[in-house]
Amino acid sequence: MNTINKNNSTHSQRNAVVEGRSAVTEERNKAIEVSNLQFSYTKESPPIIDIKAWQVSQGEHVFLSGPSGSGKSTLLNLLCGTLTPTQGDIALLAQPFSALSNRQRDKFRARNIGVVFQQFNLIPYLSVAQNINAAVYFASTNVSKTASDAKLRHLLDKLQLPSHVLHAKADALSIGQQQRVAIARALINDPQLLIVDEPTSALDTDARDSFMSLLKDVAGESTMIFVSHDKAMESYFDRHCSMSELSPSTNHIKARGDEAPKAQERA
Amino acid sequence: MLSTIAIESLKRRKTTAILTLLSITISISLLLCVDIIRTQVKTSFTRTVSGVDLIVGAPSGQLNLLLSSVFNIGTPTKGIEYKSIAALQSNKQVSWLIPLSLGDTHRGFRVVGTTNSFFDHFKYGDMQSLEMAAGSTFTQPLSTVIGADIAKSLGYKVGDKIIISHGLGSVSFNNHDDHPFTISGIVKKTGTPVDKAVYVTLQGLEEAHTGPKHSPTSMLGRKSADKANEHEHEHEHEHEHEHEHDEHTKEYAVYNSEAFTPESVSVVMLGLKHRVTALQLQYQINQSKKEPLMAILPGMALAELWQIMGNVESLLLGLSGLIVICALIGLATMLLATMRERYQEIAVLRTIGAGPFTLLLLIQIEAMLLTIVSAALSLGLVAGLMSALKPWLSSTYGLFLSSPLFGQSSVIIILLILGCTYLVSLFPAVAAYRRGLHAGLNANS
Repeated sequence: MNTINKNNSTHSQRNAVVEGRSAVTEERNKAIEVSNLQFSYTKESPPIIDIKAWQVSQGEHVFLSGPSGSGKSTLLNLLCGTLTPTQGDIALLAQPFSALSNRQRDKFRARNIGVVFQQFNLIPYLSVAQNINAAVYFASTNVSKTASDAKLRHLLDKLQLPSHVLHAKADALSIGQQQRVAIARALINDPQLLIVDEPTSALDTDARDSFMSLLKDVAGESTMIFVSHDKAMESYFDRHCSMSELSPSTNHIKARGDEAPKAQERA
Repeated sequence: MLSTIAIESLKRRKTTAILTLLSITISISLLLCVDIIRTQVKTSFTRTVSGVDLIVGAPSGQLNLLLSSVFNIGTPTKGIEYKSIAALQSNKQVSWLIPLSLGDTHRGFRVVGTTNSFFDHFKYGDMQSLEMAAGSTFTQPLSTVIGADIAKSLGYKVGDKIIISHGLGSVSFNNHDDHPFTISGIVKKTGTPVDKAVYVTLQGLEEAHTGPKHSPTSMLGRKSADKANEHEHEHEHEHEHEHEHDEHTKEYAVYNSEAFTPESVSVVMLGLKHRVTALQLQYQINQSKKEPLMAILPGMALAELWQIMGNVESLLLGLSGLIVICALIGLATMLLATMRERYQEIAVLRTIGAGPFTLLLLIQIEAMLLTIVSAALSLGLVAGLMSALKPWLSSTYGLFLSSPLFGQSSVIIILLILGCTYLVSLFPAVAAYRRGLHAGLNANS
């Protein structure tokens, strides 16, 4: 909890809500617990992530910011389990996530973590229904097809998507529709943890506000980690964490912001 | 779901997928064609003669004797004298004997001098006897019985007269114009060299060469004369309603082709009372000091001949197999080449819960789908092609396609191709797997 920043938003009403939530944060169960986490892409390179301790309570909506190359996406990949820590532990929803096998992590991610990408990243050749049902398939839950279809239609209603888009190919949708489908795919398995990676970077202010309202509305009680380098967005969240405070010893990476992608290519 | 993703993914890359599909389809079709031709040739080959226990001729070579007597290819180097034939006929182990005199042609088709015993005893395929599609066997010295292909290609019918030519080749300058043969019968199609042969009586053939010769009942006809007479009566009875040939039939109703004694014949086919004595008799004949003769077992000679041809078909099969491998490597290359544009897709699939092994499986499903569709297309294509080429293969190469077209070997070939697809698709699949291990949210960056 050492890196919690109180939200200094100008939206006073929202601030009140945020502070109210922060007050109860300590008492909630932890959704994310990170301790002594280090990650580097190669043995020789210095760690790109070095977090002594970080916790996020269940239901908490956290805004994570940092400049390009500060390790935001790397941290998200570690939280998703697509990268494995070089050192340290990650516990998600009281599970020793980093200690799970790759297969267990994949299954855990499919069932408990919803991800909204920067470019929404729908699979372009699949229809909307197929894109969303792929997430259901990989989660391998025992939900019946009827229940799953009902859930899908409920989400579409909530996201104000007409039912005919279900059969449209993802690349035939407008940007706004793609956003909504990406959210539907992330939420279809009722994840307890929602990871959102800079989905508003290409949106204007109105579209961004509209997107955030929708996201907050459908996210409900899920824990959310929202990544953006646009600090103006922090007002939507319970608290703000910056990468420079989370991982202070890796600030030098900022100076050479291209380190992470290059290193990842090598990996 | 994985197969849906694989199908949609292939549809997305339909140009490369269709080109790859075509390449695999053509190569599998080629392999199947070679296999079918090989199998059908072998079947056709082994069905050329059955029920003949020994073939006897002048010493030359096993294959030469087989080719000249069964396949009507080439001629024996020397004939067999009558006294040797008579000796064979009188051998207690011999049940029947078919004399064959070779060397003449009719418009490019081989002329075979023989007796009615040929039609009584010669068998092909699965011990099938020769049957007449029209007319009857020899009814007079200048009778001829023609194969189904000759009747069809030259438009002959029973009662037509034909002239045979001395020597081999389609053009001859020595025609036996004075001795026209009358077609007494047409053999029902057999799918063997019989269909392309003109059978004339030994007597007629010798008369055509040397002039008329009258012979008393000979040793050649001794064992089967009675049977032959019965045979002729049967034929007379069978054709009593054929008004066109009434006169012809009445005139030669009692003609016994076996009664003629030839000076010599080219080859003799023997049927034994007990098959087990074939080796013993073969040894006796080969050791004969009266006249040097050679006896061969048709089965063994066919096997030897097939062994020679088998090398060629193995080579063809091998080459076709290599072409399939090349097409499958093309498939792997196509999948590998598309891997870079699929990094984002791989990252998305990983993030929504697909494990690296699932990604490996996905690529393999795509490869398998392409190969399965190619194999199905190939089966249809080859079946259509063979059906269309059936008359041409039959008339040009004497290859008669029998059903079923696709056999066990076709199934084995397709299973092997699927196995190879699995192996070659491991390259792109492992690339996807490795990519999947490191794919994350910023894969598109």
